[in-house]
Amino acid sequence: MSQPAAATHCPYCALQCAQTLHTSDEGTVTAAGRDFPTNKGGMCQKGWTSPTLLRATDRLTTPLLHGQPVSWDTALSFVATRLAALRQAHGPESVAVFGGGGLTNEKAYALGKFARTVLATPNIDYNGRFCMASAAAGANRTLGLDRGLPFPLADLGGAQAVLLLGSNLAETMPPAVQHLAGVRAAGGLIVVDPRRSATADLTTEERGLHVQPVPGTDLALLLGIAHIVLAEGFADLAYLDERTTGLDDIRRSLALWWPERTEQVTGVPVASLRRAAFLLANASPSRGGSGAYILTGRGVEQSTQGTDTVTAAITLALLLGLPGRVGSGYGAITGQGNGQGGREHGQKADQLPGYRSIEDDAARAHVAGVWGVDPADLPRTGMPAIELLRSLGTPGGPRALLVHGSNVLVSAPDADRVRERLAALDLLVVCDFFPSETAVLADVVLPVTQWAEEEGTMTSLEGRVIRRRKALPPPPGVRSELEILADLALRLGSTVRFDTSPSVVFDELARASAGGRADYSGLSHARLDAEPDLFWPVPAGPTPHPGTPRMFLDRFPTPDGRARLVPVDHRGPSDDLRRDAPLFLVTGRVLAHYQSGAQTRRVPELVRSSPAPYVEIHPLLADRLGIAESDLVQLDTGRGRGVVRARLTDAVRADTVFLPFHWSGTSSANRLTTDATDPISGMPEFKVCAVDVQRWEGPVEVLEDESLLFAGEVVR
Amino acid sequence: MSSGREIRVVVVGHGMVGARFVDDLHQRDPGGRFRTTVLGDEEYEPYNRVLLSEVVAGKLDVASITLPRNAHRSASEVLPGTRAVTVDRSSGLVHDQAGGKHPYDILVLATGARARIPDLFGRRDDDSLPAGVHALRTLDDAREIVAATVNAHRAVVVGGGVLGLEVACGLAHRGVPVTVVHGGAHLMDRQLDGPAAAVTTARLTSLGIAVRVGARTEEAVVSDGRVTGVRLEGGEVLPADLLVLTAGTYPEVGLAQRAGLDVARGIVVGTDLASPADARVFAIGDCAEPPEGGSGLIAQGWDQARRLATLLTEPSAARDDVPLPTVGTDVVKVKGVGLDVVAMGVCGAGSVSEGRRVRLSDPEGGRHIEVVVADGRVIGATCVGAGPVAADLVAAYTRGTPIPADPAQLLMRPVAGTAVPAASPTLMPDRAVVCRCNGVTKGDIVGCWRHGARSVEDVAAATRATTGCGGCEDAVCGIVDWLRRSDPDQPAPATATTSDAREPTPATTA
Repeated sequence: MSQPAAATHCPYCALQCAQTLHTSDEGTVTAAGRDFPTNKGGMCQKGWTSPTLLRATDRLTTPLLHGQPVSWDTALSFVATRLAALRQAHGPESVAVFGGGGLTNEKAYALGKFARTVLATPNIDYNGRFCMASAAAGANRTLGLDRGLPFPLADLGGAQAVLLLGSNLAETMPPAVQHLAGVRAAGGLIVVDPRRSATADLTTEERGLHVQPVPGTDLALLLGIAHIVLAEGFADLAYLDERTTGLDDIRRSLALWWPERTEQVTGVPVASLRRAAFLLANASPSRGGSGAYILTGRGVEQSTQGTDTVTAAITLALLLGLPGRVGSGYGAITGQGNGQGGREHGQKADQLPGYRSIEDDAARAHVAGVWGVDPADLPRTGMPAIELLRSLGTPGGPRALLVHGSNVLVSAPDADRVRERLAALDLLVVCDFFPSETAVLADVVLPVTQWAEEEGTMTSLEGRVIRRRKALPPPPGVRSELEILADLALRLGSTVRFDTSPSVVFDELARASAGGRADYSGLSHARLDAEPDLFWPVPAGPTPHPGTPRMFLDRFPTPDGRARLVPVDHRGPSDDLRRDAPLFLVTGRVLAHYQSGAQTRRVPELVRSSPAPYVEIHPLLADRLGIAESDLVQLDTGRGRGVVRARLTDAVRADTVFLPFHWSGTSSANRLTTDATDPISGMPEFKVCAVDVQRWEGPVEVLEDESLLFAGEVVR
Repeated sequence: MSSGREIRVVVVGHGMVGARFVDDLHQRDPGGRFRTTVLGDEEYEPYNRVLLSEVVAGKLDVASITLPRNAHRSASEVLPGTRAVTVDRSSGLVHDQAGGKHPYDILVLATGARARIPDLFGRRDDDSLPAGVHALRTLDDAREIVAATVNAHRAVVVGGGVLGLEVACGLAHRGVPVTVVHGGAHLMDRQLDGPAAAVTTARLTSLGIAVRVGARTEEAVVSDGRVTGVRLEGGEVLPADLLVLTAGTYPEVGLAQRAGLDVARGIVVGTDLASPADARVFAIGDCAEPPEGGSGLIAQGWDQARRLATLLTEPSAARDDVPLPTVGTDVVKVKGVGLDVVAMGVCGAGSVSEGRRVRLSDPEGGRHIEVVVADGRVIGATCVGAGPVAADLVAAYTRGTPIPADPAQLLMRPVAGTAVPAASPTLMPDRAVVCRCNGVTKGDIVGCWRHGARSVEDVAAATRATTGCGGCEDAVCGIVDWLRRSDPDQPAPATATTSDAREPTPATTA
């Protein structure tokens, strides 16, 4: 019998394209784009093909214990017994939790609550540390608050200039490109990327400017542009006087970044720097323009100076008088589906629900009150993701890890080291719907629901809280993480209540967030069903709060209401070029795949579009190295060796190679990347490291048989 | 931290290098072992000397070249307007002009350089110059030149090096007629060879700047204490009411000399930046003469500041060795409105080192590029009018990245890649991706035409092309039009093979 259509959103990225899932009489689900302000009815190939995920042949439908199917009772009883024993022997900190930016708000909230109350461990962090941590740290210390886009995405439509740094949204969230039509028509799209990406191609034919800096120098580039803005008198002095603090220190710090020096560091000609500055200035409201935006993405944030780079981007925006003005602003383009909500509700090592600090006594008291526990029993700040992963199975480090919605073995940097650490654990439990590379290593795998099988909420890249709706029941044997956490809490003897209904959990989340920076207390599933246009904060009150589509219009949420201009300086990449690794390796995404590929590599249409990993090499470099199209090449970094097929293209700089990161095995990008982190945000430097590139002279079987790769290492 | 274990560092000189060293040192010293005292000769806060020519050009105001405040005030004291007079090395004391004594464990000399004043003014009892004559080394110099430009009718710049050209361009930018007088055979002879300099001269001329090379200045013509011109060897007088002296600099070595340290042109130091005469005394920046020679460029001084801070803070066991000078700190780029000259590494006529030279000589096009390569790397380059090529060469030179098998490829940027011929569906290969968002190829669209799709909407419904970002709508529309023209509603495949006389038909595809 035919099911009613479900109005939900795509399972992948933070754009959360609205989609309608139709179930046929035969039970086959199809997806169609649904009109919504963000995607305007559009979807990319990933969205259209998403129902294929529901038919994947290797869907997990039964718990696995050491690889063997077992009953839920057996699996959960094993987990609970082992957790209890480890806690008993080594203390609560011996259990750690690793969450994900794809979990619904309800699941992220429940997971944080479970870790802090039932497990009483400080050690919970999540893959959002790989995604939004630098943007969050940068925005918090300057604007006083982090909401990816503090304005509706559709506002971009009226802009005269948009500076897009390290974002390839034409591939990562294609329907978002519709919002750039206006700025492209105005010739004001500025794309900063060392690669001529699909997004950089949007600037051709007089539609803007592609700036192609040396990898790892985005911060210097921003400082150089900001220098020009000040020197040319483009700064909005009235705004700076009224709404910011710290101009004198910024002026001084920018005195060090004159254009000619910036050119030498970034490889970007002075003329391009000046053109970028002029485009932005002419679009700025203080100079009569119709509006300008500065947007950052992972390309500039996944860096050991990511927080400083975001800070510099915000500084530039403040100098031009953009944030807090309708039609202008600064924003970070969130990556993961619930990258925004995931970081607000308590799976980050230093946060409690409502974007509260876990070190703030008032916040602890409030949340503990909602949870019915003693505030003194709440743990303090735990280790950020990379530190957490490095410490697994080490003396004094966690001995058990629960993984939810993350495939760390492919998505974390220096992946071979991650594999070592996971192997050193006493207990690895993975909740997933597919046997991901990480799940395959687990002692216990618990099969869970995916997007079309569950109710919940997500918070999209623009801070809009949206509803995920159920289109069909989960396969028999599959449970929701809310049920699993509630069950484990009981088995571990906790008296803390864990509801299993998403709408009830949401109501509790709303109460816990009340008064916090990300205040959801005026929201409920019922209200969101009626009003799809609500942006947080939405505090509860006697009359319904209309939500906050645009932030900072009157003041910044800092003690004095002013934004902070924070001076920063460029240091360069942690793993810089050296004699035996004279090229830059940069990593990124392709349109057909998402993150570690655990979902998209199971969709035949997507595999057909992008079947295998490859490395992009400039023809001049390939010529020098004797590499032809489709040859196998070996990439050696300080972490290890990868082998991958060459794709020759002049879209990359001749001193740089590009490797997409969606695959495991011999060609896995993150076996090569460095796990050096930003000192403030703890975000790893995925985006740049030093590499040596050679033609692979070994057997082609290396692509399937990794042992050949290690044998080659030994021979060398 | 007990004061007894504190290491007292006295820094003489609070310019760009001295200030940077203090910052680098304290950044590397979170434990607070070091305490610095900085003696600054000038009354001002440190400023960016590199940008003085931009102040002269009117592109920056004085306020915007002040350097960042000392961020380590608890561990560091700055004494502006304090001139170091003598160093008593046996007791480890620096004496200042006011009688103050500054004890040190480590002494860092960052005294910089002073302008060389050519011998044009006869006997002078003090440092004073006639009215209208200015060197350009300090903030005061820049201020005075800016003030003088208001009434100047005719300027002469003596010395056609980097600074001279920057000043000349700046004055021209302000509308002051200007002549550059240079004693050498050609402009910028430290960096450029004859042909490169010739292109540079032509460019300056087109900017309205007169250039006299091989012209020795004999004396300034002064009337009532005010300059009215400059006399060249041979007697010709160039009239000028503003004379700017950019004839090079001398390292400021007086204090070191009086302290009995080794001094050649600059204060002699080893790779470790220490004086061979006294391991407690270091020199960095323009005043220093390291084994590789002083370049007078800020990048070298900053590199020395960083290396010295590393040497002092990291125990030798933690280091491989004394950190060596960073390659690539000798890039020179002229900051002149309308002038595009960059030189680095092996360059100029004087250099007769190893390496293969590849040159693009295009004097009529205002362009001259020379690249010197060795061992698969760029070891030097000269770029005049090279545009973005210069930025690429700097990146390759400073980072030592591998170069193309044929180094001539370095002389040009390749023309932009060929676009997918979307305008011509005929030429487009079947596998060309038309809709990137949904991975739809031309072949897919042709295939769905053969299955009855007749409009963009039909194609969208069948393939989902145009339903992502919408950017391919024109291209899909073009292909549908082409299909309509070349395959006018004849659904039977058998008839399609007869159309060879027209455009290639879709029958061969799909």
